[in-house]
Amino acid sequence: MNCKICSALFQEFLEKSLCEELISEVDSHLKKCGQCRSSMHTYSLTIVLSSRADPPCCVPAEKMDELKKILMERFCTKKTA
Amino acid sequence: MGKKREIQSDALVVRDLKKGDAKAMEEIVRRYSNKVYNLAYHLTRDSAAAEEIMQDVFLTVIAKIATLTNEAYFSTWLYRVTTNAAYGFLRKEKKFSEQTPVEDLDGEHHASVDWSELPDDVLLSEESREVLKRSIDSLPEAMRTVVIMKDMEGLKNEEIAEALGISVPAVKSRLHRGRLMLRDQLSDYFSKYTKPSGEDA
Ligand SMILES: [Zn+2]
Repeated sequence: MNCKICSALFQEFLEKSLCEELISEVDSHLKKCGQCRSSMHTYSLTIVLSSRADPPCCVPAEKMDELKKILMERFCTKKTA
Repeated sequence: MGKKREIQSDALVVRDLKKGDAKAMEEIVRRYSNKVYNLAYHLTRDSAAAEEIMQDVFLTVIAKIATLTNEAYFSTWLYRVTTNAAYGFLRKEKKFSEQTPVEDLDGEHHASVDWSELPDDVLLSEESREVLKRSIDSLPEAMRTVVIMKDMEGLKNEEIAEALGISVPAVKSRLHRGRLMLRDQLSDYFSKYTKPSGEDA
């Protein structure tokens, strides 16, 4: 395993979708290659930070009520149409 | 009603919806309104637009649900409708940039600095989150959408592929390249906090 192959496998490695053979090859490359290790750390941290950059929020309550009303009206007129 | 609906799959609820069951409609709204709203918001960065898109998406559900032949694909269909509506908004606002993805980012690509050991208050500061949000927004469109769907909304690769009409490998490659670009931007930003090390590489 070289650095090029190792860094191309980060995504699958982190998603745990690699076969055992490749996992151990990536593991052993990471053990001896500091650059890939740093690279892997910052790659996975980028994913974590993205998930926290703008946390999900809820639909405002008034909008939710309005939505339900509009949908029910449309739903009922469609049924009788 | 709650308990029984809770354990029902989307497919069953959608089947009831097709029969004109109003309770099924309520259940779909309960399950998906926040997801649709957040996806629309993150794609458009406009909360008024996100509300409007959400409403249009559910009206589309009512109008077009009969055309959905496989109920199991409801969520991906919903995400596709949402994504298309968000693109429609961005196009109208001329914020849609159809840049072609840069192809040469694959392969060996080392981070210039290792900022992964920085303390949380630096990593998660308001400023760093703003930098990251701006970086996500300025990604080429193809990557931006995939990064938002996967890393911000937590959708599965398969769902993203279905919703965007591309293959799973295409999702993965866009995601990987998008993340590498974001990582580079973060590396630039965090470099002011990392001391240059004298170590050999
Ligand atoms: Zn390496």
